[in-house]
Amino acid sequence: MSAKRKTKVDPITLSVVRGVLETTQREMTLSLEKTARSSVFNLAHDYSTALFNSKPEMILQGQDIPIHLGSLIPAMKSVARFFGEDIHEGDLILHNDPAFGGSHAIDTCMYKPVFYKGKLVYWTVCKGHLTDIGGPVPAGYNPNAKEIYAECLRIPPIKIWERGRPRHDVLNLIFTNMRARRDQEGDFNALIGACQVGERNLLNMLEKYGEKTVNACIDELLDMADQHMRDLIRTVPDGTYEGVAILEDAGHGFGDFEIKATVTIRKDTCHIAISSPPQIPYFINSYEGNSHSGVYLGLMMFAALPPPYNEGLYRCVTVDFGPKGTICNAQEPAPHMNCTTTPMETLTDAVRLAFEKAMPSKVAASWGHANGLNIAGWDTRTKEEFVTMVLATIISGGGATPQQDGWHAVGPECCFGALTSGDVELLEYSYPIIIHKYALMTDSGGAGKFRGGSGTAWEVEPVDGEMLCIGFGEGRRIPAMGAAGAYSRDVDSKVGRVVLKKSGKTEVVRKNILETIKPGETVTNMNPGGGGYGNPYERPIEKVIWDVRNRLVSVEGAKRDYGVVIANPETLEVDIAATERIRAGT
Amino acid sequence: MHANYRLGIDAGGTFTDFVIADRDSGEVKLFKALSTPSDPTLAIENGLKLIAEDLGADPAKIVSNCDLCINGTTVGLNALITHSGGKTGLICTAGHEDSIEIRNGHKEDGYRYDPEYPAAVMLVPRYLRRGVCERILSDGSVRQPIVEEDVREACTLFKNEGVETVAISFVWSVLNPIHERRAAEIVREMMPHAILTVGSELYPQIREYTRTSTAVVNAYLAPVMRKYVAAVDAYFRSLGARQPVRYFQSNGGLAIGQVMTDRSVYAINSGPASAPQAGLYVSAPFKRRNVITVDMGGTSFDITLTKDGQTNLNKNIDFLRYRIGVPMIQVETLGAGGGSIGWIDSLGILQVGPQSAGADPGPACYGEGGIEPTTTDANLVLGYLNPEGLLGGKLPLDLAKAREALGKVAKPLGMSVERAAYGMFTIVNSNMVNGIRRVSVERGYDPRDFVLVGAGGATAAHITALAREMGIDTIILPKLASGLCAFGQIISDVKYNYMATAPARLDNSKAYRRINSLFRDIEARAVQHLRKDGFRKGDIDIKRSLDMRYVGQVHECTVDIDTFEIGDKTIDRVKDAFHKRHEELYTYAERHNAVEVVNIESTLYGRIDKPKPPRLARGVPTAKALKGHRRAIFRASGQTTRTPIYDGSLLGAGASISGPAIIEEVTTTIVIEPGWTARLDASGSYIITRKRK
Repeated sequence: MSAKRKTKVDPITLSVVRGVLETTQREMTLSLEKTARSSVFNLAHDYSTALFNSKPEMILQGQDIPIHLGSLIPAMKSVARFFGEDIHEGDLILHNDPAFGGSHAIDTCMYKPVFYKGKLVYWTVCKGHLTDIGGPVPAGYNPNAKEIYAECLRIPPIKIWERGRPRHDVLNLIFTNMRARRDQEGDFNALIGACQVGERNLLNMLEKYGEKTVNACIDELLDMADQHMRDLIRTVPDGTYEGVAILEDAGHGFGDFEIKATVTIRKDTCHIAISSPPQIPYFINSYEGNSHSGVYLGLMMFAALPPPYNEGLYRCVTVDFGPKGTICNAQEPAPHMNCTTTPMETLTDAVRLAFEKAMPSKVAASWGHANGLNIAGWDTRTKEEFVTMVLATIISGGGATPQQDGWHAVGPECCFGALTSGDVELLEYSYPIIIHKYALMTDSGGAGKFRGGSGTAWEVEPVDGEMLCIGFGEGRRIPAMGAAGAYSRDVDSKVGRVVLKKSGKTEVVRKNILETIKPGETVTNMNPGGGGYGNPYERPIEKVIWDVRNRLVSVEGAKRDYGVVIANPETLEVDIAATERIRAGT
Repeated sequence: MHANYRLGIDAGGTFTDFVIADRDSGEVKLFKALSTPSDPTLAIENGLKLIAEDLGADPAKIVSNCDLCINGTTVGLNALITHSGGKTGLICTAGHEDSIEIRNGHKEDGYRYDPEYPAAVMLVPRYLRRGVCERILSDGSVRQPIVEEDVREACTLFKNEGVETVAISFVWSVLNPIHERRAAEIVREMMPHAILTVGSELYPQIREYTRTSTAVVNAYLAPVMRKYVAAVDAYFRSLGARQPVRYFQSNGGLAIGQVMTDRSVYAINSGPASAPQAGLYVSAPFKRRNVITVDMGGTSFDITLTKDGQTNLNKNIDFLRYRIGVPMIQVETLGAGGGSIGWIDSLGILQVGPQSAGADPGPACYGEGGIEPTTTDANLVLGYLNPEGLLGGKLPLDLAKAREALGKVAKPLGMSVERAAYGMFTIVNSNMVNGIRRVSVERGYDPRDFVLVGAGGATAAHITALAREMGIDTIILPKLASGLCAFGQIISDVKYNYMATAPARLDNSKAYRRINSLFRDIEARAVQHLRKDGFRKGDIDIKRSLDMRYVGQVHECTVDIDTFEIGDKTIDRVKDAFHKRHEELYTYAERHNAVEVVNIESTLYGRIDKPKPPRLARGVPTAKALKGHRRAIFRASGQTTRTPIYDGSLLGAGASISGPAIIEEVTTTIVIEPGWTARLDASGSYIITRKRK
């Protein structure tokens, strides 16, 4: 229980202000979601909206995708620092550069300073994953890039509107360097619209309650969040805890890497130190802004706090990302585009594992990592080029918990259920493709007393021409991490992979690909299941049989992973004696 | 023979409301009987007995003297909540068996970091979802002809498993239903007793997941609805009803029993869906057609919005965690009722709801063992409710228990019980305001352009405060507020939604021709249907809408259009309507950009004449209706004001009362805050207004 404290403001007004802030953020999000073009953004919910005060401290972040969790904090500060006093009513600032606190450059941020009676009071901010950000490979993911310069158009903080007037020259420069201009313009409008919705609501609130009262309430909300996190940290025994997770080689040839998180708890403070190997000339380096999200997600998987979320939560948390020039604290010219999934999810696992050691009673298993596909080509129906990240290709299984099986098809870990993958018919209408399969995969959930959720398979064929498929991610060799002694004997079905049917041959690929396929050929992208919880031999037999009946577990899987021997695959009759023998380990 | 009455029966969770209108005098009477979920016709029998006593005629005589008997039921909703629908099988395109379990890969917002939030219960387990080898493409062409053997195998499994209801849903069946039709023939042949739902017939719109899920929910509820409708129809037939019973649907209109069985999914949230009709009806004497209705009951607060006589609809939403495509009246429901509990959250902030003390134990002041502070307790402490009791003293209230309960939040916040009570009142109102924004601001409407209509027993205590917070200047509060939804059902029309899909860019005459011909087709079928129900051509109205978006967008806006031929000359009218709607919703339009249509819909109404509105006589002079005074709180400081209390049953048409004041009606208590004036209109509603500042 939290220590109840007297507030400095009227508690009733405080509740009301909190409600207005949440409503404002909700309305910004809705506006963005309904109007955006990029499917990564309006279907994946791969965006976030946040409100900042003039300091600027984050006063509210939506419950959007964890990829952005907290990452707007360093970005906003760096934008405000860059412009200093040169911020005026009617300005709109654009930015995507990871070297300025951004996450990955395709996530583009829009910042609108909100003025009240001539004074800067707030910022309304949106960030979203665009369709494309220039560079040699459509959709931004270029596995061949050795440097960030070979990935995309970098945009340091820049004014696209100045004192209420759009800077058409600047916008034109930006759009000229991107693919799919029409969609890009639409997405910029969506970002601007959302910032305006936020501004309108905040100004109404100031008119109604007065600036002094509102800001006192906001300060109080920050203090309360701070207190909340401190109360939670205080329940963790003082000490130092280490978690190590393996970042597997996704095809770059530099081998596997270790990411280590060291969590030190002292009273009501928490210090998280990350250590990772030197950065590599491959697109899995994470700059500081993105690494913030990875660490905060690991923390939140442990903390499991309900909303609202603001910067106060992190006041008692200090983070050291290790020396500059490492994978989790990259610097120019490190390529980085894949960082929001890889290495972010491994970083998250390391932090989660350290907390599992600190408090074994409060833990859930890891989720499947992202292992996805971007597609690009020419649509002869509309005579337009197309390019998109296919969200349905990254839907993995959720982790099991001390009380229940993991959710099917809800990952990847870095998105934590915030995605929506888009409808099969809408995708086939928008792109010249046939989706032969979008289904759960047998035996993909991590074995455990509570089973991890199933991952998904997504099979695609181009309809009327060549199509470029760009694979990214990992989790193709190392399955999602279980918890509390969960262990899968049948690993191969738990990990991600790509099945390529091309030129009459079928090939299973376990690395990032860049392949062109034709009508009659297919790519199937398979995503890992979630981690299990507890000893799989303790899973009740009837639950295993129910899974077999529903083809979530195969007859062979029941035996290998759960020690349940099915005597008759038709009736699913169990050989109890054989089962007991295996489960007893004799 | 002329029929004198119209009867409406609205089954709720606790009570079933009965409304009987005298069609000639306009007199409307409200009765309540306890709901009987295990045998829903029993409550109907009990209610009819009450009416019979009151009117001095036996139930058969009353029923046979009704032009229409109308029933709103929660049996479908309850079956979905308790997962007690029929054993269901799904036949779908091979490779796409899991779309209803994948659920677009999404976990509901608000639970992101809650590891123990459970997954949605599957209405069809995976082993009863059977893929069939077949494939239609996005242009409607057949890529892979249907393998009939797969359908037969599925039927064999279903028969062995005791499946009683089957959904069929194939990818792109909306553009070419040939495979679904063939599969349906095979199912009918092999499982003649099973109920069958075909995706492209039930919900012919693009989006496979939505269509499959809608078909599954429909199939799941169909056996329950079929049984219920058969029982109610038979009961009313036995009483000599002149017409088949009409059932109320979540689209805000009526349907006959066969439609309720075929389209069971339309039954699920019908209860609050009649509020807009009632709201429009009671606003009509004041010439207002922009109406927000708010209905506060014991556990929830329901909001709807109607602009220019058109009510907000929802399509393609998650309802009780299941994706449902068919249009439903947008009902925003909050956990903010009279029983909602005040508590202090982990941050230390005072909150109200969504937990509720419900009917048992109920608010602390009911003295039935409740110890948590509820909205009703706060309203009692504030002096709004009569401490001698509600319902004319039938429900006594215990002020001491209310104060004691409120101490649970007052003490930790370091404030007096009175201030805490006003705080709870403020917070619950603020939650309601945020809910009202969801139907108004989020739909591109300014709530200040609307009148606020109060429904439900608990609303009237909050209504002036709510209007004040929203900046709304006019409130309409019918004396009948606590039974307004049941009343809304008896003044509703028959309403059927017919849909089609027509994905196309609006830049060529081929697309226009296709849209025109689809509209003609679906409307011809709908008119035929309504003619069969007995409607004449002059009683049938048609409304059209298009779901449109800018090319590249994923979500559509629904745009209402008049019934005209779309062509080169008229296309700009269509596009303009879309740009305008987009701008209302999202602050901007892109007039230079390409526009496309995705789905189309025609709504057909079979108009039913309305009972005459009641005429209220002039009552006693206002001063004679004054019962006395109470100290009531209208300020955050907790300071009390001596407030006059009026007996609403004595007031007649033209009575005018200025706040602060409280009017006690038998089934509701109206709080008039300072600055507001209530006038009782001859139509039976209070119109409560304030001077614009």
